[in-house]
Amino acid sequence: MKWICLLARLVLVAVPLLSYVCSAFAQSYPNKPIRCIVPYPPGGVVDFHARIIGQKLSESWGQQVVIDNRGGAGATLGTALAAKAAPDGYTFLVVSPSHAINATLYKKLTFNTEKDFAPVTQLTSAPLILVVHSSVPAKSTKELIALAKSKPGQLNYASSGSGTSTHLAAVLFTTMAGVDIVHIPYKGGGPATADLLAGHVQMNFAGITLLSHIKSGKLRALGVTTAKRSMAIPDLPTIAESGLPGYEVDAWYGAYFPAETPREIVSKLNKEIVKILHMADVKAHFASQGAEIVGNTPEEFAVFTKAEIDKWAKVVKDSGARVD
Amino acid sequence: MPIKIRSPKDLYAGLLFLFFGVLAMGMARNYPMGSAVRMGPGYFPSILGGCLTVLGMAITARSLWLVGGKIKPPVMRPLLLVLGAVFAFSFLIEAQGLLMALLALIAVSSLASWEFQFREVIFLYLLLAALSVGVFFYFLGLPFKVWPI
Amino acid sequence: MTDIFNNLSLGFSVALTMMNLFYALVGALLGTLIGVLPGIGPLATIAMLLPFTFNLPAVSALIMLAGIYYGAQYGGSTTSILVNLPGEAASVITCLDGYAMARQGRAGPALAVSALGSFFAGCSATVLIALFAPPLSELALQFSAVEYFSLMALGLVAAVVLAHGSLLKAIAMVFLGLFLGLVGADVNSGLLRFTFGIYELSDGIGVVVIAMGLFGFSEIINNLERRETRVVLHAKVQKWMPSRDDFRASWKAVLRGTTLGSFLGILPGGGAMISSFASYTLEKRLAVDPSRFGKGAIEGVAGPESANNAGAQTSFIPLLTLGIPPNAVMALMLGAMMIQGIAPGPQVMVERPELFWGVIASMWVGNLMLVVLNLPLIGIWIHLLSVPYRLLYPAILMFCCIGVYSLNHMALDVALTAVFGLLGYVFIRLDCEPAPLLLGFILGPLMEENLRRALLLSRGDPTVFFARPISLGMILLSGLLLLLIIIPAARRKREEVYRKE
Repeated sequence: MKWICLLARLVLVAVPLLSYVCSAFAQSYPNKPIRCIVPYPPGGVVDFHARIIGQKLSESWGQQVVIDNRGGAGATLGTALAAKAAPDGYTFLVVSPSHAINATLYKKLTFNTEKDFAPVTQLTSAPLILVVHSSVPAKSTKELIALAKSKPGQLNYASSGSGTSTHLAAVLFTTMAGVDIVHIPYKGGGPATADLLAGHVQMNFAGITLLSHIKSGKLRALGVTTAKRSMAIPDLPTIAESGLPGYEVDAWYGAYFPAETPREIVSKLNKEIVKILHMADVKAHFASQGAEIVGNTPEEFAVFTKAEIDKWAKVVKDSGARVD
Repeated sequence: MPIKIRSPKDLYAGLLFLFFGVLAMGMARNYPMGSAVRMGPGYFPSILGGCLTVLGMAITARSLWLVGGKIKPPVMRPLLLVLGAVFAFSFLIEAQGLLMALLALIAVSSLASWEFQFREVIFLYLLLAALSVGVFFYFLGLPFKVWPI
Repeated sequence: MTDIFNNLSLGFSVALTMMNLFYALVGALLGTLIGVLPGIGPLATIAMLLPFTFNLPAVSALIMLAGIYYGAQYGGSTTSILVNLPGEAASVITCLDGYAMARQGRAGPALAVSALGSFFAGCSATVLIALFAPPLSELALQFSAVEYFSLMALGLVAAVVLAHGSLLKAIAMVFLGLFLGLVGADVNSGLLRFTFGIYELSDGIGVVVIAMGLFGFSEIINNLERRETRVVLHAKVQKWMPSRDDFRASWKAVLRGTTLGSFLGILPGGGAMISSFASYTLEKRLAVDPSRFGKGAIEGVAGPESANNAGAQTSFIPLLTLGIPPNAVMALMLGAMMIQGIAPGPQVMVERPELFWGVIASMWVGNLMLVVLNLPLIGIWIHLLSVPYRLLYPAILMFCCIGVYSLNHMALDVALTAVFGLLGYVFIRLDCEPAPLLLGFILGPLMEENLRRALLLSRGDPTVFFARPISLGMILLSGLLLLLIIIPAARRKREEVYRKE
């Protein structure tokens, strides 16, 4: 009888000791390859972000980060896949503002944008630039708004698709400024740029890829959409400064885990990504795309995500864009 | 009085086009039409559907007086087996991985050949499996699930 | 003139370094392999190779990527000719007469003419780029939605010419293709059309899916029915050199194809895709005996292949001079340039001339390498054909299935390919030709998109199509072509009817 009591006491001690040791082993995440879902086909800006981060992660963690491109349905297909993935820290998602936009743009999503994801960190922040064709007689945002007011329904703006951030950035602009400019949707940024260059449309909210044309004089940049001026083009005022106070659109990129992922793993990935973001070559890579690194905490990013979802919800309603 | 169908090929072709045309028009009615100068998403498909329906009717009608060829009866075995093999692949590739899906594909499609030889098929499967894993998975780095687990 | 000479010598000095030659070779080789594997497009390869290019100097990276791109064009025609499997949309036309030639034991000349024609086209297009890149891109910008619509309309009328059977059925096939092309999200409103609630269809049906199903799978099923032991029954294919007759027949087609493709490739709206279709139509219209087309007319291979390659080269122009990628592959290259810190646009020629001219010079080098690589490969491909069919076709099926799956990681795509295989089989039985359907499929959504955009831009004014000169010209040409098709056909039908009575 005595040895049973001894055994029982040993077990009572051993179990917590063992579980402590086991959880110490669990700290050895990651111990197999990690999948990074990019809900766009290869080659886009989101894809580049993911690949740069992924490459560095592979190096520092010694585990392959595999980029899984799951393009389709405006990024919702890949996002849905990530939402349903096992929350063990071996699948994460990289997105653009479409993530927040889609929450209200699509009426029949199979996932809940607010509840099904655990924010990791905001990777970068980039401005969109309000660009007009050189034939447009407006040299600042204020002049453009005045021009548009004097010619309601006569000007056009291009977008890279119905419901994209370039479209909704413009919708926010026209609603806030109270002007009537006609939306001309295109299939992607390339065709939109082509028609802008030719002057068939007068303006566009675009990324930094048009810098070369701005320099050559074919196009004129009126302002950046972010709240602060861009470090890449410090001479360009923000739209808020130059004629439309309160206007702000951020072309951000961020990473998420599926919702139930353990806090320690979220925190671990967050710290590693923040470290990577501050590396000189990574910073330079992103700067070449016009993006500035952010690298905030999961809590800050969660607040930011919610704010974005709410902001775009209003714009989606105003734009009347619908998908299903 | 029995209608003489002079061209079965045309008849079925016409009916097929008719079917798609009606389908197009029917579904397009649910989409906003807009006007001729401000077309909505339903406008173009409706017109397309209409043209397709008209063409379908014309071809069907034509089959009644213009002599055309008789349709060769379909040979079921190769048709069902090849298509079945591809369907099997599409079901298995995500759940069970490349190796299983490939096994189904090779096995089922090989049955469609009248020269089917069991040992050859096994050898072929092993060769192709090795080749595909090597080329697609390792060399090109395409992220497939390879093993069934 | 000396300017050009200086630029070109600068370019060659860059392109001909050992390192860049190496990368050009790697690119060309990879591209050919990728092109030969049905379904795997340059997109997947480039995406995979992109990380390597991060560490390479900019010029070398671009040279390699470019090599992959047009290498894939060369490779794609190989499978089209040998097994009726189009590697991508542009190679579909090559299936028509190329495969027919292969079945007659003339796969060798078909492959050779395709390679040589492509080489000629590539070189000429490169000359064009070198001399006229900036003004050509300006010209291309003149094309607005109005002109694109008229171009597509012209293309559709040309699609009907593709057929060699019943005119009425060909037109119906075009319309069916148009309808299938509309599946997916509408550009102008975002509404999902004809997707039956299947979310994965919201980007439409892939062109590779349709092409492979309609052409490749149905052909395999057909072959199995016919109990073929070898794909080519009377394989007297030791000769791969085209005969003198072949040369005489094809050289004019090559010239015409090159011109057509060079021009169409410049259009940022992706004209390169329709260049092969356009060339086929042109050749058929100009031929002394159009009924040969579809049964192994070598012009039907020479022209479209040249047009295809010329278009592929000149589609670099909008990328290099304007920074506008005309298709997804170019978009990737654009991204690669940006990662390297180069902002593409008109400034590139001025700020980084060694980049611009280096890439152009390497296009020549690349084309030369490709033709040197591909011609001997022809012998190997022919030997591949002599593998017993019962072993060959499962292998073909495997490459197709994996290829299609790898496009979007969607099993649905593979299943859809099977559905189109069934449809293709039905069509063959009913004497309906798949080529017009495919062309309708490609052009349909473009037509609608541009029509609506043109009307949107003109605020609902339909006369804009006739007011703008280029558009008017193309509409008139379409009308003329339509008449040229209908009148002889109507006459023929009337004769048939008379003969019956």
